[in-house]
Amino acid sequence: MAQIGTNEFKAGLKVEIEGEPYVMVGIEFVKPGKGQPFTRTKLKHLKTGRVIERTFKSGEKVEIADVEELKMRLLYKEPNSAVFMDDNSFEQITIGNSVIGENDKWLMEEICYDITIYKGEPIEVVPPTFMEMEVVETDPGARGDTASGRVLKPALTNSGAKIQVPIFVKQGEKIKVDTRTGEYVSRVQ
Amino acid sequence: MEVDTPIMSRFAPVDEHIEVFSLLFTQDKKVFLHSSPEYAMKRLLVQGMGDIYQMGHVFRKEESGRLHNPEFTMVEWYRLHIDYQAFIEETVQFLNIFLGGLSYTLLSYREAFLQFSGLDYLTASSEQIIEVLLRRGVFSSQDLCRWDRQTLLYSLLSFIIEPRLGKNGFTVLFDYPAQEAALARTFLKGDERVAERFEIYYEGIELANGYHELADPLEQRRRFEEANSARIKAGKEILPIDEEFLSDLAKGLPDCCGVAIGFDRCMLLRHKAQALSDVMPFTWQ
Repeated sequence: MAQIGTNEFKAGLKVEIEGEPYVMVGIEFVKPGKGQPFTRTKLKHLKTGRVIERTFKSGEKVEIADVEELKMRLLYKEPNSAVFMDDNSFEQITIGNSVIGENDKWLMEEICYDITIYKGEPIEVVPPTFMEMEVVETDPGARGDTASGRVLKPALTNSGAKIQVPIFVKQGEKIKVDTRTGEYVSRVQ
Repeated sequence: MEVDTPIMSRFAPVDEHIEVFSLLFTQDKKVFLHSSPEYAMKRLLVQGMGDIYQMGHVFRKEESGRLHNPEFTMVEWYRLHIDYQAFIEETVQFLNIFLGGLSYTLLSYREAFLQFSGLDYLTASSEQIIEVLLRRGVFSSQDLCRWDRQTLLYSLLSFIIEPRLGKNGFTVLFDYPAQEAALARTFLKGDERVAERFEIYYEGIELANGYHELADPLEQRRRFEEANSARIKAGKEILPIDEEFLSDLAKGLPDCCGVAIGFDRCMLLRHKAQALSDVMPFTWQ
C-alpha cells in the first residue's frame, strides 16, 4: 500500500501501524529550538476504537491503510450474520454479527449502510445517522402523567432497538431516530 | 539603524533541520525565500553599517501548528562590540517591552538536561534516554527504538525540557552543544565544547535565538558543508551555499552579537492567546 509523509497528515486519514488499521484523530507539530521537528498524532483503532498516541520524526512516512468504504444495502438478516448487496455491482457479502456488533439493532432490510472494508475484510457496519422505524411495542402512555414528571417511556422498534420515546407516541407509529445516540428525534407523517 | 534586505536569494541558508521554499525564477534558475535575514544583514555589517535591525517576514517550509506558521514575522538585530552577557540582558529588555517586567534565569543546556531528566547529554546512552522518555509516559517504545541518539536527545528537549522552561519569568538557555552552534562562536568549557548561543523561553515557548556571531569564514563553510552532508544522509536535497556571504565574511565581520525573535509568538504571549492564528490575520492551519 502507498505511504504518506508527516507533512500530509490530517484528521480522518486512515493509516496502518504495525499491521493494525487506525484513523488519525489528532495532529500536533512540535519543534525544539532549531532541531529535529516531530509530529504527534492521536490514532483511533478502526476495529476496537482504542485511542493511542504515536510520535513521528518530521518527514517520516507511514503506510496508508488499505481501507475502503462502500455503501451496501441490507438484503436480509440470518441468525449469525447479515447479507448486503452493492447496488452498482450486484456483489453480495455476508457480514458476521461479531463485526456488526451493537449496530445490529439498526439493521432494517432495504436500507443502505456504510461498510468499512480493511484488507478485503469488512470490519465495520455504520447505519445512516437518522433512520425511520416503527414502534412495535410500547405501553399506551397515561394521558396527563405529569404528576410523576415522566415524559418518556420505553419502546421497541421493528429493527430491534430499545429506545425511550415521548409518552404520546403510540404502538404502530413511525418515528425518526438518531442512531449515533439511540435517541428519539421526532414522529414521521 | 533599520535596514530592509531582500527576501529572495540565489542561495539558501544551509541547515540540517530547516527547509526553505524555492521558486523557479526561470525554468532553470531556482531562487529561495529566506528563513531569516541573517546573511544579508551580516554582509551589511561587513560593509560598515554599524548596529542594525530589521523586522520582516521569513519563510520556513514546514508543518503549521499552534506555534508555527510557514510565514511569520522576525525581529532581528546586531550590535557590535557588546559583551555577550549584556546582549542577553538587552534581548530580555526588548521582550519586556511587550511582556512586562519579567526577570530571567540563566540555565546551561547541560544543566537543563541534568535538572529535568537526570541525564548528562554528553555521556547518556540511548538506552538511558529511552528509559527517561518511557517513564514520562510520553512515547511508545515502538517509536523510541526507531530513533538514533541525536533524535532521542531532541525529543527529550522538545517534549520534556522545553515545556518546563520559562515558568515565572524568562529562562535563558545557553551554552549550547557545539554541534548546535549554527552561526555562533564556540569555546571549550572544561570537557565540553559549547557554542555562544542562547535561546529565551517563556511559558515553554521559544521566543529568541541569539549568538555571539561566528566571523571565521572557513569554519562557517565547514559547517555549511557538514549540514549539507547531514541533509543528504536524511534523504534531503543539498542547498546552494551562499558564496557572496562567505566572501564578505572573509573581508572581516566586526565582533558582534545578533538575535532573532519570533514576533508573532511574542504577541501571542502578550495577548494571552492560545495559537498564532489568534494573533495573525490569515494562517495556514
